[in-house]
Amino acid sequence: MPNITLNSVVKTYGGKSLAVDNLTTTFPSGEFICLLGPSGCGKTTTLRMIAGLERPDSGEIRFGDEVFYSSQTGTYLRPEKRKLGLMFQSYALWPHMTVEQNVVFGLAMKRMPREDQAKRFTELAKLFHLDGLGQRYPRELSGGQQQRVALARMLAVSPDLLLLDEPLSNLDASLRLEMRAELKRLHQTLGCTVIFVTHDQLEAMTMATSIAVMNKGRIEQMAKPMDIYRHPSSHFVANFVGSPPMNMLTPGEAPGLASEMTKILGTPADRAGTVGIRPEALRLTGQPANGGLKATIDTIQPTGADWIIGLQAEGRQLFALSSEPPPADIGAEVGLNLKADGIHAFDQNGKAVGPSL
Amino acid sequence: MTTTDRTTRPPLQARLRLLLSQLVSEPSYVIGAVLALALAYLVLAPMAAVLGSAVQMTRMDAVRAGASPGDLTFSYFQRVFTSPVAQDIFWTPLGNTMTVALFATALAVLFGLVLAMLVTSTNIWGRSILGFLLIIPYMLPSQALATAWITVFKNRRTGGSPGMLEALGLTPPDWLAYGPLPIVICLALSYFPFAFLLFSNALNKIDTQLEEAAVTLGARPHIVWRRILLPLLIPTTMSVLLLTVARTLGTFATPYVLGTPVGYTLLSTSLYSSLRSGAPGVAAVLAIVLGLFGVAMLLLDIWMVRNWQRFITVGGKGGKREPARLTLLARFPASAVAWGVFLIAAFGPLLVMFLSTIMREPGVFALSNFSLGYWTGGDGRPGVFNSPEILLSLYNSLSIAGSAAVICGVLGLAVGYAVVRLPGSWLSGFLRQVSFLPYLMPGMAFAAAFLTLFAVPRGPVPALYGSITLLILVMVVTYLPYASRSGISAMMQVGREPEEAGMVLGAGFFARITRILGPLQKTALVTAIILPFISGMKELSLVVMLVTPGTELLTTQSLRFLDYGHTQLANATILIIGVVVMLLVLLMQKVTKSSLAGGLGG
Repeated sequence: MPNITLNSVVKTYGGKSLAVDNLTTTFPSGEFICLLGPSGCGKTTTLRMIAGLERPDSGEIRFGDEVFYSSQTGTYLRPEKRKLGLMFQSYALWPHMTVEQNVVFGLAMKRMPREDQAKRFTELAKLFHLDGLGQRYPRELSGGQQQRVALARMLAVSPDLLLLDEPLSNLDASLRLEMRAELKRLHQTLGCTVIFVTHDQLEAMTMATSIAVMNKGRIEQMAKPMDIYRHPSSHFVANFVGSPPMNMLTPGEAPGLASEMTKILGTPADRAGTVGIRPEALRLTGQPANGGLKATIDTIQPTGADWIIGLQAEGRQLFALSSEPPPADIGAEVGLNLKADGIHAFDQNGKAVGPSL
Repeated sequence: MTTTDRTTRPPLQARLRLLLSQLVSEPSYVIGAVLALALAYLVLAPMAAVLGSAVQMTRMDAVRAGASPGDLTFSYFQRVFTSPVAQDIFWTPLGNTMTVALFATALAVLFGLVLAMLVTSTNIWGRSILGFLLIIPYMLPSQALATAWITVFKNRRTGGSPGMLEALGLTPPDWLAYGPLPIVICLALSYFPFAFLLFSNALNKIDTQLEEAAVTLGARPHIVWRRILLPLLIPTTMSVLLLTVARTLGTFATPYVLGTPVGYTLLSTSLYSSLRSGAPGVAAVLAIVLGLFGVAMLLLDIWMVRNWQRFITVGGKGGKREPARLTLLARFPASAVAWGVFLIAAFGPLLVMFLSTIMREPGVFALSNFSLGYWTGGDGRPGVFNSPEILLSLYNSLSIAGSAAVICGVLGLAVGYAVVRLPGSWLSGFLRQVSFLPYLMPGMAFAAAFLTLFAVPRGPVPALYGSITLLILVMVVTYLPYASRSGISAMMQVGREPEEAGMVLGAGFFARITRILGPLQKTALVTAIILPFISGMKELSLVVMLVTPGTELLTTQSLRFLDYGHTQLANATILIIGVVVMLLVLLMQKVTKSSLAGGLGG
């Protein structure tokens, strides 16, 4: 199966605001790729350009040897010729068509005989637990069912490439967990390339085989989820992935903490513009050691499995994440131990420095 | 970046190929371009023509002044603003217009607000049916109230059949029969439903939690109104004020019927008589003045919307407001006020008009005096049902307003489609703005513009004066702002995703329109057709200068009848319009399965 290649892709809106900034990357075949980033970072635009719903201002998009778009040769392949499936955030189910009509629409456009359409619908209905719902209208279905209809409609035409635009954001929390598992299973059975757009780092971490973190129209870092988490290549990535987010400090704000962190990392203190520590790398001890780091507990948020503990240290708010109950009550002073593998340093431009890379 | 751009700039051939593929795969560019051209011609050209004829000599004046036609002249401006006749042509009508607009608007907004408060927030008797009944004046043509007024108060100053009071032996004084007082009353009564609709919608949209928050903090109901609800209505009040003023500025029928007999002229009637007396240059200057008023109103509206934005509350869950339980002592007068307005503004006039058509002699309530003669004919004259004028004008009204409505509805959705499909492009911005421009121009001014442009052949376009095409065109352009606005919002609501989902699955443009967008926009299309249809049936000021004996509409025909003193036939004609409009409203409610209040906002 072919890779998707983007080559110097530029997209602006109205000739001014830059949506995608000279993007060159390859999405390897068979992967489940998440485009992750805040709103306005260009992730949806990238997806829509791959789908053919938007055109780049310049650059080239290829799917293996097939050219989807090229400003050099003047090639533009229309969306329906790209053999891809697209699922929208709103699902875009047509409210005036029944579930079955929605699902077989793509087949009807290919002029597949009616009996074959019906047969294919039965197959898909079984796969997506839609048996008996064929004659219903979308508004008569629950959110989860609508989502499965949208999936079935997308897969009915057996696309080579699946594009998903924040498909889980309209679901409630419990359904979301279920659908994450279902999408992951689907990817494993079909084996085709999936590109998934989301602003939810948890979704990206849990589902992707590869995450591309986007910021201001560029990909900041593309790697496996755990590599992104353990070795963020920039301040932006470190801050965006992880919940609660990484505690970030400048050496000027909290000199004691910051110098301790650069010492552990072994980074020259003058190179570090910012240092950060993951909440789970902040360990609390009952009594502050003599001359060691200390903090005051000011909030405790139990989540059931873990505790999120708010701390005040050198006038800064920090969050620690622990699977152990906090060693003392609110208002008490505790000692701090820092775990080396959760500490990161970034230079003035936000690039990671030190042994973390 | 710019340097890499220059080195990788694709060859011309590649760019042309891309452009071509874009035009083929995205017909909205073509649709948008065609619409833009058509609109530029139909909207911008008439405006330019008016400006032109205000500063160019007409043939007649040129001969008189010894110049050649088309020469640049400012004599029309001088005539309107500074000449000895300027007082009669412009300054007095300007003052009268201001007076009438001020009082009529104040009354209409007051009625609208009070009634909206009563109907949405108290338990007056029959509040749900009043919500509908109070909008009836809105469905009648603008001259209905004036005609009804004449039917009752007409005195011996004008000829034809006498008014009801006169027939009873009471001669109403001139100040009661004609002039500013009746004009203000009639305008206020015909424009308050608009204020009522907007205020009711606004009140229903205010999140009840805002009031509940005040109540939990100890505010009594009157404090809640004074401190919370009324301030929240300020933006609505502002736009209602502006829109009502704009309407009264352009109004023609009421001042024509009630002002002309005593020489009380407004700008609109002055414009009309300038045009009728063969002074198109003067008329053009007056049209420009009216147009400038329109621009001023629009700019004010935009400015206010921007300034009062902080009043737009973050949408909450809301919920229906629990109507306040009035004590019996308060409930009775409150109900009486609401029903009283209905009786005076809708039921009374309709009854008076109807009675006049079934009584041989006005004011004689003997059984023998009642007859269907005016309807069926007899005594050697035709009745309504077989009067060639009425039948012809009914046919004209239905076919002209109908065709204009269909064209308008389709155009509106097409504009919406192009605007939504081409976001951010200059074409989309141009369409949005130009289709909204006619909104600035009072109908009278726009009609003058069309008359100037199409009275003579221009290029490939033949002279259209006296043709049905001209009437259809002018209606289409005038109602386009509403149609395109609702078209844009209908398309926005559906969004691009349903269509794009079809695109990815292989549906071409035609399949997308017939199988996805068409069915989705069915209701919007019907509404987009019925609303201009209703406006077209009621239209007078726009068409009164453009109709000719063969192309009379019901509205203009009723005015002719009044001119000749046939009050009964005029009333019958207006009743016919009322019935047709009522049927259209019912049809729309059936199609959209909604109540009127949402739809008639334009």
